[in-house]
Order: sequence, then C-alpha cells, then structure tokens
Amino acid sequence: MQQGALIRLDGVTKTYQAGAPPALADLSLDVATGEVAAVMGPSGSGKSTLLNLVAGLDRPTSGTITVAGRRIDSLSESALARFRARHVGIIFQFFNLLDDLTVQDNVLLPAQLAGASRRTARARAGELLERMGIERHRDDYPARLSGGQRQRVAIARALVNSPELLLADEPTGALDTATGLAIGRLLQQLNADGQTLVLVTHDPALAERYAARTVRLLDGRLAAEVPA
Amino acid sequence: MSWPGSWINWLGPVRTATGGVLRHKVQAVAIGLVVLVSTASATLGLTLLAASNTPFQHAFGAQDGAHVTVTVNAARASAAELAATRHLGGVTAAAGPFAESVVQTQFQGQPFGQMTLAGRGSPAGPVDDVVLNAGHWADGPGQVVLDGSPGGGGPGLGSTITVTGVPGTPVLTVVGFGNSVTSTADGWVTPGEITRLQPPGGPPSAQMLYRFSHAASYGEVRADVTEVSTALPPGAVTGVASWLAAENQATSNGAIMEPFVLAFALIGLAMAVLIVGNVVSGAVVAGYQRIGVLKSVGLTPAQVVVAYLSRVGWPALAGCLAGVVAGNLLAIPVLNNSAGAYGVGSQQVPWWASVVAPAGMFALVLLAGFGPALRAGRLSAAEAIAAGRAPRAGRGYAAHRLAARLRVPRPAGLGLAAPFARPARTAVTLAAIAFGATAVIFAFGLNSSLSRAAASQTLSATIPVQVEQFGPGIGPGQMPSAAQDAAVTAALRAQPGTRHEVAVYGNEVKVAGLAGNVFARAFGGDAAWTGYGIIAGRWYDAPGEVDVNTAFLDQSGLAVGDTVTVSTGTAQVTVRIAGEVFAPSSEPRMFGSTQTLPGLATPANLREYDVALRPGVSAAGYVQAVNAALGGRSPWQATAQHDGGKFYSIASGLVGLLAIMVAVAAGLGVLNTVLMTTRDRVHDLGVFKALGMRPGQVLTMVVCWIAGPAVVAAAIAAPAAIALNTATVHAMAGTAHTGIPASFTQVFPPSRLALLSLAAVAIAVAGALLPASWAARARPAVALHAE
Repeated sequence: MQQGALIRLDGVTKTYQAGAPPALADLSLDVATGEVAAVMGPSGSGKSTLLNLVAGLDRPTSGTITVAGRRIDSLSESALARFRARHVGIIFQFFNLLDDLTVQDNVLLPAQLAGASRRTARARAGELLERMGIERHRDDYPARLSGGQRQRVAIARALVNSPELLLADEPTGALDTATGLAIGRLLQQLNADGQTLVLVTHDPALAERYAARTVRLLDGRLAAEVPA
Repeated sequence: MSWPGSWINWLGPVRTATGGVLRHKVQAVAIGLVVLVSTASATLGLTLLAASNTPFQHAFGAQDGAHVTVTVNAARASAAELAATRHLGGVTAAAGPFAESVVQTQFQGQPFGQMTLAGRGSPAGPVDDVVLNAGHWADGPGQVVLDGSPGGGGPGLGSTITVTGVPGTPVLTVVGFGNSVTSTADGWVTPGEITRLQPPGGPPSAQMLYRFSHAASYGEVRADVTEVSTALPPGAVTGVASWLAAENQATSNGAIMEPFVLAFALIGLAMAVLIVGNVVSGAVVAGYQRIGVLKSVGLTPAQVVVAYLSRVGWPALAGCLAGVVAGNLLAIPVLNNSAGAYGVGSQQVPWWASVVAPAGMFALVLLAGFGPALRAGRLSAAEAIAAGRAPRAGRGYAAHRLAARLRVPRPAGLGLAAPFARPARTAVTLAAIAFGATAVIFAFGLNSSLSRAAASQTLSATIPVQVEQFGPGIGPGQMPSAAQDAAVTAALRAQPGTRHEVAVYGNEVKVAGLAGNVFARAFGGDAAWTGYGIIAGRWYDAPGEVDVNTAFLDQSGLAVGDTVTVSTGTAQVTVRIAGEVFAPSSEPRMFGSTQTLPGLATPANLREYDVALRPGVSAAGYVQAVNAALGGRSPWQATAQHDGGKFYSIASGLVGLLAIMVAVAAGLGVLNTVLMTTRDRVHDLGVFKALGMRPGQVLTMVVCWIAGPAVVAAAIAAPAAIALNTATVHAMAGTAHTGIPASFTQVFPPSRLALLSLAAVAIAVAGALLPASWAARARPAVALHAE
C-alpha cells in the first residue's frame, strides 16, 4: 500500500441485488495525495460504482473505505453529506447543473450547504469563475451555455469548498474533441496545483494524457494497474 | 379480420404500456389513496346533505312514528274499549295500551325532573318503532331505557335513577338508550314495572299510539283525536300529543344544523375535486417521458391516451371502491351524531350516495387525466420525453434568484422558490390547504359561537343555580303555598354564597298590534345581572321599560325605542322597548320588572328563582345547602344549571368531527402533491445530496416547498373562515327566529386567529413530512439514477 494515501479501499464488495454478481468484488486500491488516477473499463465493469462509493454517494456491502483519513463506509447519512461537502468535489458527465439557478448560484450552492459565510463563498466563487474563464456568465442560466462552459461551471462548483479530492465521471464524455481537450488541460492544471484527481473514463487517450496511473476494472475486479 | 380481433390487436400494445401500473407502485398508491380519501369525503358529504334534508320525515316514516299519542285514564276505559279504537275508520295502525306513569326523579342526588315512563315489552311494534341506540331493552324489574343518547353529563349505561314520590323510592338502572321519533315517553320499563312506579292516589294511566290515514295538518289531527275520544267513554282521554309538535321541534333543530353541515359538505366536496384533479393530471404529466418512449416504438396517439387513462384508471377504480366502503364506515359515527342533533333515531347512508360518489369521482379522474393524456397523444415522441423530464424551462427562475439573496438557510431558500416552477400545481395545492385550514378555523369559531349561544340561552354562567317547582312536596295541579314561597327567599338570602337572587314570574299578556298572546317574564327585583345576550339596545333599567326577543320585533313590526301597550290581565300599561335580547323562539317574548308589568307577580305565576353565586362558591355545594334548608317536603328544589343544551353539545361534536376529516383530507392532498414534486425533482435531489446537502437540510427544503403556499393559504383561510362563520351563525340564528348579539360572531381575537391560522401550516407540514422524510433518506446514488 502507498504511504500518504488519500483514498484507501480495502476488500470492498458492492452487491445491488442478493444473488446477483457483485458490481465490485473484493477490491483493494490506494490513491495517493496529489495523484491523478484514471479508472477505466467496459460498461458494467464497476467504474461508476467505485466512484459512488469513494464519493460517499453509496455504501459498500462489505469492506472499508477511507478517504482523507476518515472511514466513510460507517458514517451516518448526515456525516456522509458533511464529508462530501468538505472533502470531495464531483464532476459529472452531463454536468448536473441545476437549471433554475444562475451560474453563480450553482457554484455557490455547495459552499452555502457547508455553512460558509456569504462573503467568503462569494469571493471563492468569483475567484473560481474567473479562473475557469466564465466570469461574464455568472448571471446566466446553464441552459444558455455551451457544453464546455457548463462543464467549467461544474468544475468551479466542485472546487468551491476546496476539497482534497476531485472525482470526475467521464468529464469530457459529453463534449466535442476540442472542448474535451480544453477541459483536460484545466484538470491537468488543477493537479499541477496539488489537486488529487480520480478520472472515470472510457477514453484511453484521456487516461494516457493526464493520469499518472490507470486502474482497469473488469466485472468488478481489478484487472490491471498501469503506471503512466 | 373481424372487429373483435382488430380491437384486441389494437388493445395489445395498450395493455403492454399499461402494465406499468404495478411497476409504479408509489404513483399507483398515491392515486389510489387520494381517490380513496376523496371518495370517502364525497360519500360523507352527500350523506350529510341527504341527512339534512327532512330528517324528521325520513325517520318518522322509517320508525312508523305515531301521528297521535293519546293518554287515557285506564280506570275509565277498559282494555276492550281501547282495543276497539284500532278499528276506527281513519286508523291505519295502532299500538298499546301501554301503562304509563309520570314520576319525579333524581340522578346522583340531584333533581332530574319529571319523567313519563311507559311499560313496553319490546321496542318494536306497528307504531313508534323505538330505535335502540345503546344497551338493551328493559327485560326485568328495576331496569329502564331512556329516550336519547348516553353521555353529555347525564346518565350513562349502568347509571341509576331514583324515583321520588313513590312508595319505597324505587331505583331504576339505565340498561339502554332508545329514540322514539315523537318522544312518546321519556323512558321505558317492563309492563309489570309500572304498577310499582304509580304515585299513590293517582289514577292508572295508559297510552295508545295511532297512525291515521290523514294526519298532515293540525285540522286533520284534531279530527282524528275527536274520532278516538268519541269512541271512548267520556273523560277517558286525559292528554293528546300530536306528531306535528315533534316535527316542529325537530325541523327547527334540523334547520339550525343545516347551514354548517352544508358548509362542511361543500368544503369537503370541493377539496376532493381539487385534490383528485391535481394528483391525476400530475401523474399523467409525470409519465410523459415514458409516453415519448412508447410513441417512439409505434404507439398511436389514441393508444397513448387510452394507455395513460387506464394507467391512472385502475388505481383510481380501486380507490373509488375502497373509498365508498370507508365513506360508509366513517358515516356511522357522523350520522349517529347528526341523528342525535336532529332528534331522530338513526340515519343511514342513502344508496345513491354510495353510487354517485364513486362514479362521480371516477369520472373526475378520467376527466382530469384526459386533458394531459390528449396532449401527450398529440406531442411528438421527442417533445413528450422533454416535457416529462422537467417543469417548463424558465418557470420559477426569478423566484430562485430572489430566494438566493434571502437571508435564510440555503435549503429553505431553495424550497421556498420551488413552487414557482409548477404554478398550476401550486395553486391547486394552495387551494386544498386553504380549504382545510378554513374548515379548521371555521370549526373553532363555530364551536365558540355555539358555546356562547348555549351559555346565553341557558344563562348557566350568570345563573348557575335555579330554584324550581319539582320537589317531592308537589303533585299534579298543586301549587306551593305562600309560606313555602317565602321560605325559598329566606333560604336564599340566608346563604352566604348568594350574590344575587330574583323571583321570576311568567304569564301570557296581550300586546297591541300582535295577534295571540305574548309570554312575559317579570323579575321581582334587579335582573340586569341575569346576563341575557343583548342584540340591540340595552337591558331595561327603569320602570316602564321592557326587553323583547327578535320574534316580537319581527311579528309586531316595532323597533327598539318604540312604545307599545301591554295588557297583563289586571292592568293596561304602555312600555318602551329598551332592547332586543337573545331568546330564540318563533313565539314573541317580553322581559320586564314586576313593577313595569303589574299583575304578573302572583303566586300562581311564580315560575322560579334565579340565583348568582359569589366568586369561588361551588354550585353543587350551594344547591345541597339550599335544599337542606328547604327541607325534604318543599315543592321547591334548587338545581345547578349545566353549560349547554344537548343540541349544542351534539352540534359541537359534529363540527369537530367534520373539521378533522376535512383537515385530514387536505393533509393527504398535500402529501400527494409533495410526493409528485419529489418524484419530479428526484434527480435534482440526487445532485443536491451529491453536493453535500444533509438529510436535515433535504427535509427543510422539501417542507419549505409547501411552506410558502401554506402561509398564503393561511392568509386566505383566516378571513374566509371569519366570513363563513358569520354567515353560518346568522343563517342558523335566522332559522331559530332570532337575531344574535355581535359577541357571538366576534370569536376571533387577533391572537387567536393568528394561532388558528397556523392550522394551514400544520396541515401542510404534516402532509409534507412523510415524503420529505423519504426524500431525506434516499441514497444520493439512487436518486441520481432514478430519473
């Protein structure tokens, strides 16, 4: 096991239905602080399940999951929500922006849910919108933005609470090639600034270009670990 | 291909598409539940409307009520002579003779009044079928069945009643309660018991109950009575009671009830229609995405419409059937209450209510679903998928923008802005909450108004004790002596607890301009403290002034401040009307001092003594002390007055029951709306949770979805309930031939109204809590993928 692991999975199994094959089977895995790890595999291999478990969006059937030094598999729902708000940022393939909130309100939301002061949250949101190059769209609604702009909003939202861990589920999957490359570069910059990143992707090029290590899953099991 | 085959082929895909009913359990249960509650409410509403429609006439027919109850001196008419009257020309049915006795009674050591007890072996018979409300019929010595219902501070099953003025002062145990539609007796014992209950020296008495072929008017009833009287020996008939008098009393009570029963029934029906329309149309809209998929695989618009109507139709049908059963079950306690208030034995759910309510509700479901289903059928597949995914884009954005700037916790702000995304659904939900809250506030107000009316009618608060003539020392036709009257005044003045006491005289007087007699009450001293409710003007405070009731003013055409000439029999005086008092009656009444109405203050006219007590003095203790001072043989007995009449307590009970039902129905309407909204926004809930929204914050947000509409509903419900209460109380008073003091409707001081308005918030929060808890508990990963 790696020293200074930000994520540690130990013998994690996730079964959705009794009798059905597990989505993840006895998986053990570490991700170090500051690392970019890509998780790849065919559909149904357990990539999204792994991401959900690490994000605390779901619970394992067995095994332990430690993120940022905390065992999250045994936390209550409230504690898990607090954990997500403070330690994890999530970027979804289809952005999952809230259509009825402005760009700025979307970005502010996790900070407000975490109880950040109004002034601090606004300052941080402003800083991130500027860094993502979408500050002029702060009062627009997501429906008026392009795919790339929406994903930048989603990244800003994921980063607003300065989480130790950024989880990205097919972050370029809904974007054209050029926009995907731009988003990839943005993620690379974040990692260069010390951000730990787990990328779930189908795209070998994305994994190869940006990840220090690629974890391949097959039928819920670790099939291979490939360093860059 | 033959037509049936084509039809089956056409329905095949519809059946497949509709197969989703069982897979959408939550939605099916929600539709079924709301239709169940609404059908039950509608059944009950229609039943109440039917029950308020000539209840006496229905009960009179069902119970073969007696057109005439004839009391005979059994010593003057033989059993054979009485039996022969059964075959008189106009008699269609007869029952009796039943031996009867008029006795003085006590309950729990206090005078319980004069009772007519009849000896009947069975409650049934060709005339006057007594409906047994509780317990069993008297089947042995020492048992009595009372006319009425148990409770209300009076005797209950197992209570004992002591018969005074009869050798051995027999004790009767109450074994049942029954209802004779024309109140042919106050109680029934076994036929053999009557002999033991006859006061010494009195002639044996019996009652005959008749139904006649013609008894619709007082004239016809008089002719019927003459026919019976002439068939019997002279002097045999000692008393006659006509069904028309009982009808008058019952119709008057029923008419008083009708306004509020009607108000609750209409609220219940309107709310049921709103909630069902809301839930069903919401369910169809929620299925748009699936409709889009079905169209993309080839379903025709007509098949889509049929598929979606049947998808809401099956759970609705189940809800209708369960609802009509629930409505019938719920109607039992409500009808027991209303039957008591109407003074009839029992009431049933009319068969047509059990057909019209479910059929109407089912038709409403189909109608509510038809519009959205038709729209779905016309949409292209892509449009249907888009329309089903989210509320129309742009709606509620401004509200969210504003809410983001509010200084409230963010989940609360998100919740407060949410209703603007679905304005139609919000408006209907708001209306349902407003109806429920109006019913609750109205119920509290009506209860207060009825309490004030009851207190003002019985004057129990201001006259807690009365001394009346029904002690053991008086027999029929006897009058207390002057010494016995003086003893009362002396006993009352000797009691340290006496604050005020006044002798009350009563007799009929003639008033110029009014046909017939006017009953006048003359007080032998200061009576301003008696506390009659003042509708207009003031209580008389000088010689030559009187107060009158509303019927007096209506029938005479006079007004407060006018003068009128009164003949008391011994004198003719001109009096000024100082005020209009609350004394409900269709007959005119006058109130004045014995000084103003000379000639009334005679021993023969002395009716009672009214007594007010000093603060802290117990009425029960005071009554005991006065009765001890008067001695066991005095014709006068002190009694403590009770809060309200039977009618008021039953009416209050009915009001409470109806309000609870309407509030529960409104809460279920909210539950379904929040449930639908939760399902609409399940993906957003997943996103919120993924971003770190805690379960408590989800709960807050979901409850706040409904909090805004609830506050608006409260703001609508409060004035609506005040207006409804005022209109209802005035309508009730109008049927009782009286005006009302303004205080009867001023029952909503601002602090109380503010508190009652919280009913809207309580209904909304109670309805929202369950789906809010489900939303709070949902796993984020499941919510994110549940779209």
